[in-house]
Amino acid sequence: MSEMVIKNATVYDPINNINGDMMDIAVKDGKIVDSVSGSAQTIDAGGRLVYPGGVDAHTHIAGSKVNVGRIMRPDDSRLNNKPRTKVTRPRTGYTVPNVYSMGYGYAEMGYTTAFEAAVPILKARHTHEELEEIPIIDKGGLTLFGSNWMVMDAIRENDLDRLAAYVAWGLLSSRGWGVKIVNPGGGEAWGFGKNVSGLDDPVPNFEVTPRQIVRQLAEANEKLNLPHSIHLHCNNLGKPGNYETTLATFDVCKDIKSKRDRQSLHVTHVQFNAWGGNHWGDFESKAEPIADYLNKNDFLTIDMGQLVFGSATTMTADGPVQYANARLLKARWSNGDVELEDSSGVTPLEYHPQSYIHGIMWAIGLELALLTKDPWQVLMTTDHPNGGPYVNYPMVMTMLMSKKRREEEMAKIAEKTFERTSIAGIDKELDWYDIAIKTRATHAKVLGIVEHGKGHLGVGADADIAIYDIKPDETDATIEYNKVEAAFRYAAYTIKGGEIVVKDGEITATPKGKTFWVKSTAPADGHERMMEDLKMKFKKYYSVSMANYMVQDEYVEHPYVVETGYQ
Amino acid sequence: MQTITLVPKEQFKISVEAETITPDNFAGKSADEIGALVAFEGNAPRPLSELFDIKVNGSADAADDVKIEINGNVNRVKRIGEAMTAGLIMINGDVDMRCGAKMKGGTITIKGNADSWVGQEMTGGEINVQGDANYYVGAGYRGEACGMRGGKITVFGNANDFVGEHMCGGEIVIKGNAGIMPGVSNKGGKIVIEGDTDMPGSEMTKGTIIVKGTVKDLMPVYQREGIEAVDGVEFTKYVGDVVVDGTGELFVK
Repeated sequence: MSEMVIKNATVYDPINNINGDMMDIAVKDGKIVDSVSGSAQTIDAGGRLVYPGGVDAHTHIAGSKVNVGRIMRPDDSRLNNKPRTKVTRPRTGYTVPNVYSMGYGYAEMGYTTAFEAAVPILKARHTHEELEEIPIIDKGGLTLFGSNWMVMDAIRENDLDRLAAYVAWGLLSSRGWGVKIVNPGGGEAWGFGKNVSGLDDPVPNFEVTPRQIVRQLAEANEKLNLPHSIHLHCNNLGKPGNYETTLATFDVCKDIKSKRDRQSLHVTHVQFNAWGGNHWGDFESKAEPIADYLNKNDFLTIDMGQLVFGSATTMTADGPVQYANARLLKARWSNGDVELEDSSGVTPLEYHPQSYIHGIMWAIGLELALLTKDPWQVLMTTDHPNGGPYVNYPMVMTMLMSKKRREEEMAKIAEKTFERTSIAGIDKELDWYDIAIKTRATHAKVLGIVEHGKGHLGVGADADIAIYDIKPDETDATIEYNKVEAAFRYAAYTIKGGEIVVKDGEITATPKGKTFWVKSTAPADGHERMMEDLKMKFKKYYSVSMANYMVQDEYVEHPYVVETGYQ
Repeated sequence: MQTITLVPKEQFKISVEAETITPDNFAGKSADEIGALVAFEGNAPRPLSELFDIKVNGSADAADDVKIEINGNVNRVKRIGEAMTAGLIMINGDVDMRCGAKMKGGTITIKGNADSWVGQEMTGGEINVQGDANYYVGAGYRGEACGMRGGKITVFGNANDFVGEHMCGGEIVIKGNAGIMPGVSNKGGKIVIEGDTDMPGSEMTKGTIIVKGTVKDLMPVYQREGIEAVDGVEFTKYVGDVVVDGTGELFVK
């Protein structure tokens, strides 16, 4: 079948320890191979930068809350409009682009994989319908378990096998990839207009604490030997002083051991959880203690959740925090209740550099990435579209690579920011290799998809390749950051599964991507007890029957199923 | 001085999106060059020369020296004068929606009636509507946080509902009557209604509304502040909307 060779590529492939070597990459039938025949299609990279296709481990690209964002923001859909071309459909939107634009936007930047970070099981059909229509990129979804009645009942009754069986069943029902926990217990408390105040504040009516939820789900996660660790959005997000809760939450999983070569805890968008002070008046950065913790412990990874000034649409399963945001900022607000599973909220807002609160938030994200010594521990994200839309990734990359670029941005930011953060004193500048880690390699590793051919260019990997119009040996990224940003924004080539999907920043083909999901076995007796409980809950509480609840195979037309089992 | 005269070749049945008709786009161009500019009729791009007879007199270096005169019926032509910065547009008839949207300067005079969203989100300049105006005079388009931010709109006839919705600055004068809820969700600016209206200013946080005619219904969210004179005429002054901690001022006779 099809063969391709990329010649004279300056390759950065951290998973295979390739650091800027000039080499050729051979592709056959959508996979990377050792060599190809002489008749293969040739692309001459001419010494330009070549990365594995980008991977985004935490983003919000599909599902009901993204759609609510679209409905709430007709003003957003007037931004960035592009008419259809011979290969693409019309594109609209900046923070909440239309479904097709989601895929095109990622591909343009050389990204080829993105994982939707919050899928309630009840809404999973909708999510998969959208994921299926997002072109080009490969996808997956992380399933929400953090405020689920089944989970909390099993935890209260101390039945780990039943919990593990439910997690396995939940992943099957939602065709999900991993366990997402959002403000554990808070989503349920919000059903009664309340929130949980910390790790040891019991959830109303369930008498389990967030600490137990995190701990037991982490144990169940490892019992099932899932490819990804638990993916956690901590309690108290968006409140000054929340860094203490965050540090305490890290400790909950300190002694969890994974059989796989990965972290045992991933804490997400930590920028929103590394806040000091007691109220907005003495609000300050506490990125340093978080980074210290990461430097001393290697069992966990985090992602930045970097803030980008301008328009954002915040969307999360953390219902109470969105209510607080909407009240504080007098913004539009939408609230969702997902029956027995969780809550959610959507609020559009604007980040202003003149506001020191937003300035400090901007600084915290960068501090987390720069103060942590091991680049594999901090993933670059903006928690799209909560911190800002993903199209700003190239800008964030240049800020990590260049102090001068950061100083240019700092000139626009409120003075008070620099009294309460250390960003002005940080000289660290990341290189091309570090950026390859932070934007693809560690994302794939954290998700557990390296062995499934993502995030690297070793033989056997998927031929997902990004060629950027910049020569690393001739470019000083610390000074020529505008050039670097332009190159990262529109890839010279994006190759997805051996097919050229972007050439010179223009979409040239729109193949369908795969959807990753996990099928896990569970202990038989735990499964039996779980099914008994589940049938009762469907009969008594759910508004749908079980047969109408699970995602069927018809919804996932291009599945990539990974099987794993109870240990 | 450059004067451009446009006459529609037919009565358009499908709406034409003509944001290219601005003094900025026309300045210094010949009739052929102007004719080559594109407007969408429905979903089909068409050069202006297919839609209009175009005559050009004189020449100009910049937009402020340009006058565009539109004769004939353009009641299906939208977005005339969008984002214009200077110059003059004279429409001798009715015009469709969003005339003068986002305009920054210059003047638009409409001899007939204007459809909805005249002066939508404008930041400067002046619009005069000699007939009536439909809904959302100087308002923000769907979802926009700020409507009109500057400039002035004068409607000599009546206006329909939601005059100056989400207005953040500038001035709107309605010489006739206005429909319900003028100044809803206002954050600034001034609205003067010389005729009657109904339920002015709900959710207003800042700004001024003066109603010289009769207010049929006053929303129960305003606090009475006493009698105050505006330009020598005495009004009852109200402050609100108290539900949203507003400090907007509402003057009612």
